[in-house]
Amino acid sequence: MFYKLIQSVDNYFSIPEAKAHCDIPCGIYDPAPAQIDALTVVRMMDLMIALDQGEDKEKLEYHNSLSRYITIKEEHAEKAKHEIRVIWGDYIKDPHVEKHPELPGLVHKIMQLGSKCRQTSDREQGLKFVEAINQFAEIFWDTKNVKTKKAKAPYAPGLEMVYPDL
Amino acid sequence: MIKIIKVTGESLSPFFLSGDYVIVGKFPLKLGGINVGDIIVFPHPKFGLLIKKVQSVNIKTHHFFVEGSHPNSLTSDQIGPINLSTIFGKVLFHIKKPSRLS
Repeated sequence: MFYKLIQSVDNYFSIPEAKAHCDIPCGIYDPAPAQIDALTVVRMMDLMIALDQGEDKEKLEYHNSLSRYITIKEEHAEKAKHEIRVIWGDYIKDPHVEKHPELPGLVHKIMQLGSKCRQTSDREQGLKFVEAINQFAEIFWDTKNVKTKKAKAPYAPGLEMVYPDL
Repeated sequence: MIKIIKVTGESLSPFFLSGDYVIVGKFPLKLGGINVGDIIVFPHPKFGLLIKKVQSVNIKTHHFFVEGSHPNSLTSDQIGPINLSTIFGKVLFHIKKPSRLS
């Protein structure tokens, strides 16, 4: 109410601005890359499973495809962990943790699940990885007072994801 | 003596966010009422009007050193010492942008 009143005054008289200035364009944090990385991990697991169910396992092509899927799975599991670590280290502050006390445990869980996804081809671990990062995204957007919505990703593996409802 | 200022930028996040308003008073300066941890508004020759948190005070020279709460904020060294006479005012009241959650 009071805010809206001042905002109306601002619209008419242009209240002077004071900059909470940063030395680089900061404030650009988004869990979306981590969410896409986690989805990629599950996608690679799906491709590995499909390949394993096929024939011609002795052929060079099989080994080439499998090694490519594993490489991408490795890279994206690690990238997802990196993205979460950046938000955790640079953006999250004490008041955020006070409001969301589950956050430290969740970040640790994401780190462990990311490692599990690298160590194995267990799709269940991949799904848990996506789910944990979605939980992180939900909390992240809450710290920005941005509502979220859930929708299926418009590409394989088509898992339900958390998106900012802008 | 009292002015309304709009906050832009993220260097004082999560305590002050871009779009918040603050009511700033100059009279606390005369009363010697600026302490470490206070939020002050001051003009800077390079960066314009800034809002920052007081990090330390040199009582002998009447200089203030300021910082942000965000890791990417300009550092105290980059901003340099702020002379008491140039300070626009101290934040007395904080009007937060309403939450968009409902």
